[in-house]
Amino acid sequence: MARPSFFGLLLIAPALAMIGALFLYPLGYSLAAAFTDPQGGLSLVNFGKAYEFYSTDILFTLFIVITSTLLTGLVSIAIAGILTLGETPWLVAALRALYRWPLFIPFIVAAQCMRTFLAKNGLMNNTFVALGIMEPIQATSLLDWRGIIITFVWKQVPFVTLMLAGAMASIDRATIEAGRNLGASRLRVLVEIVLPQVAQTLLVGLVLSFVTMLSVLSVPLMVAGSQPTMLTVDMAFRINSYGDYATANALGVISYAIAGTVAWIYLRHSVKREVQA
Amino acid sequence: MRKGLLAAGLAALLTSGAANAQTLNVATAGDQNMVDYIKDYLGPLFEKKHPGVKVVAVGTGPGDGGSQKIYEKLDAQKKAGAPSDFDVVVVHQKAAGTMVKEELLKKYRDQIPTGSLVTRETATNALGTDVSGYVMPMFHSQTAIAYNPDLVKNPPNSYPELREWVRKNPKQFGYNGIKGGMSGVAFVAGWVAAFGGDAAKLEKGPYDPAAKATWDKAMADLKEFNQNVVITPGNAGTLDMLNRGEIAMGPVWVDMFYTWKAEGKLPPTMRLKLVTPGMPGQPMYYAIPAKTAQEKLAAEFIALATSPDVQAEGIVKRFNWYPGIDAKNLEGKLDQAAWKQLFSDIPPETLAANGKPFPIGPYFNDILEAYERKVAN
Amino acid sequence: MSGEVHLSAARAQTLGPRGAARERSSPAAARVWAFGATALKMLGLAVFAFLLFGPLANLALWSVAERWYAPFKLPVSYGMRYWEVVFRPTGDAMSSLMTSIGIACLTVLVALAVSIPAGYALARLRLPWRTALMILFLLPQAFPSVAIYINVARVFYGFGLTGTITGVVLVHAAHGLVYSVWIAAAAFAAVDRDLELAARNIGASPLRTFFTVTLPLAAPGIMASAIFVFLESLDEFTGTFFVGVPQVTTLPLLLYNASMGGNYQIASITALILLVPSVAFMFVIERFLKADVLSKVGQ
Repeated sequence: MARPSFFGLLLIAPALAMIGALFLYPLGYSLAAAFTDPQGGLSLVNFGKAYEFYSTDILFTLFIVITSTLLTGLVSIAIAGILTLGETPWLVAALRALYRWPLFIPFIVAAQCMRTFLAKNGLMNNTFVALGIMEPIQATSLLDWRGIIITFVWKQVPFVTLMLAGAMASIDRATIEAGRNLGASRLRVLVEIVLPQVAQTLLVGLVLSFVTMLSVLSVPLMVAGSQPTMLTVDMAFRINSYGDYATANALGVISYAIAGTVAWIYLRHSVKREVQA
Repeated sequence: MRKGLLAAGLAALLTSGAANAQTLNVATAGDQNMVDYIKDYLGPLFEKKHPGVKVVAVGTGPGDGGSQKIYEKLDAQKKAGAPSDFDVVVVHQKAAGTMVKEELLKKYRDQIPTGSLVTRETATNALGTDVSGYVMPMFHSQTAIAYNPDLVKNPPNSYPELREWVRKNPKQFGYNGIKGGMSGVAFVAGWVAAFGGDAAKLEKGPYDPAAKATWDKAMADLKEFNQNVVITPGNAGTLDMLNRGEIAMGPVWVDMFYTWKAEGKLPPTMRLKLVTPGMPGQPMYYAIPAKTAQEKLAAEFIALATSPDVQAEGIVKRFNWYPGIDAKNLEGKLDQAAWKQLFSDIPPETLAANGKPFPIGPYFNDILEAYERKVAN
Repeated sequence: MSGEVHLSAARAQTLGPRGAARERSSPAAARVWAFGATALKMLGLAVFAFLLFGPLANLALWSVAERWYAPFKLPVSYGMRYWEVVFRPTGDAMSSLMTSIGIACLTVLVALAVSIPAGYALARLRLPWRTALMILFLLPQAFPSVAIYINVARVFYGFGLTGTITGVVLVHAAHGLVYSVWIAAAAFAAVDRDLELAARNIGASPLRTFFTVTLPLAAPGIMASAIFVFLESLDEFTGTFFVGVPQVTTLPLLLYNASMGGNYQIASITALILLVPSVAFMFVIERFLKADVLSKVGQ
């Protein structure tokens, strides 16, 4: 660690230059638009408008993204846990072959699939009715906030699981065996021995998922009606219907602040861990 | 590994990068059928008449969002001082008005032979902006209420009747709010015109910022109305729910409705109804960017596209759109069957009486904001 | 809840030989128990597969449905008509697909080329503002893309980069950089420092050590990041539109229009076509994917 840091900066320079030229520089225009009032002065008037019109949607977005992230985490832990600790070879093999398919489906296609799958008379309810699990009268449409969450979880679980299962496979098997030999159930081994060792990977997967879900437009647009809706839809609406870049950019800054906060909390946490270790 | 990737990348690019002698780039907003229309019908027709020219069509997405993208691209090009890489653009009214105001378009209509074939007001007036000379209507479209006659025996004839029907049949009517596409916006604009007072002023102006205060009652009623409707995800979402029988009625674009029916995505029994006092419709415009290098070719393309033969065969017969040029110019070009088919649900006189333009720009924005503030919140 | 039952049942079964002394159950009961556990597992797997593939089955059905409407639960008539539409001579699905794949491959190369040194620096060297730098790479994912790309397009006109493959690749690479940088940093962090020290001790230069020891050991993680960059690029719509169109058109442009417009048949077929390169790339990468590197991502 005693190497001179300018060498490190040199190595990271191309990547930084790329972000700088292709993201920060254009972002500057957006920020300027967000903080400028119609007369050209510096002001927060656009944020006032964003808050007045879209405060519900900001909360809705937070609710959707946080819930989806938590559910994604739970399901991923379950799948990765079975892959790591499962002792039924055929089950593990089948699960391993299955779980990652949604990874390849673009969000817009996922949204379209879900729109016809989760609908009141969609394929899911029709299957349940055909199997006799459900009466036709009980069928309800999931095309609202639940649909958005289901789509997000469906799409992001493979991503997190892929990373998590990798991390779990690499931990020292001896610790698992020791736990099992002491009579601990597999659930307990998973929670008390395996998870702490892979917490870091889980968190980073979830942070990346969180940020990705925050930026998806097609899913809330296509899966659910628009009242309330997510910030991406509002931004697109602001631009498409009013040509109002200022408010759209103010909403962008808010979404940016949410993502940045989550990333910052996570990185602070991991720095602390490093110092302790 | 890397070499393999690089080779794969280059090979793929080489196969796709074959250069053509002369390319006419057409960018079109709207649904996939707009792109298909140019790719499959108009493009080949034009290429046949102009050997050596290749027509490339690009879709930019449905609704005003698609037009907005074209506007943004032209605007970015203007600000960078670069020539425009679209030669012909097909846009909605709102974007056309903005583009004319910002001098992004060329005045061409008087120079083409078909320029005089259209007299309808929307050819010169786009939501209150004077666009005469800058645009030619490609086709007119109209919103209407689609309903399933198996579920709805006596469809409502007017907005008040519709409101009553929804009260008696909760969750059987669906529309897509205002953020999911123009069919929902049109329904809301129609609502304000029906219940909000001076409808003529909304269409013709002059703009009076105080007018929006008179819509409070209409908006409050709409909020109550919304309790009993299904908010669908988008223009396509409404049709989608009609397809699966989840709603029995909903506002749709007439052209989309016919396309869906033709593609087997709606029960063949579905019908349309244009309720009183009316619902808005709008044309799609052909326009030429101010800084295109292919000005002459672009004008010839539009002249072909708006010629009576193409309008009859392509627009009316193949795609079930209302013609962009005046209907009298199509006489004799079409068989009666095709003509009747187009007006089977909405007869010409109903269309003339109840087919309204959208409100002028500032009212349009006021309606949307009032909806966001009073209804959606 | 059912997961817990499921797990403990599974455990009881496999504990059989080991835990026989502890669990004084008769052989017959044990057999019933084992059978029940297997049945439960199969049921669980079936439910999982249904939830996973149900939406995809929809996709497959729509791609061959010619007519499908209420009250019919399944398509009224099937056919390949829309496949013919997608692959018709005037449609450019195939050339768009080729462009998409080409751009995705080049994007992976560009992203890796800048993120390998960056990842190494973030993992191994003392950098000021390290946390801030990591967050910086995350942001292109977080900020609404439309606003950014409009401005990027403006900048690119000045350099003549609009309408070129280079321009599109650059935009895609910047967007995918978070995956490649974060994961590459993790991959380098996972490399055992002692191995590098050993190489240095027997006289290898730092550069030689990097290329013969560190990089090969980090390669699997870097490859894993490649797949995310690849998918990201293959999926991208907005940037391609503003920077590439009309000279460069990719498959998602077609897909976007068809999907947003509710053109289910066309969209489903396009999506199925788009699956092919993704899955193919996954299989290529799979061989390089080793578990241990993934455990250090983001540290």
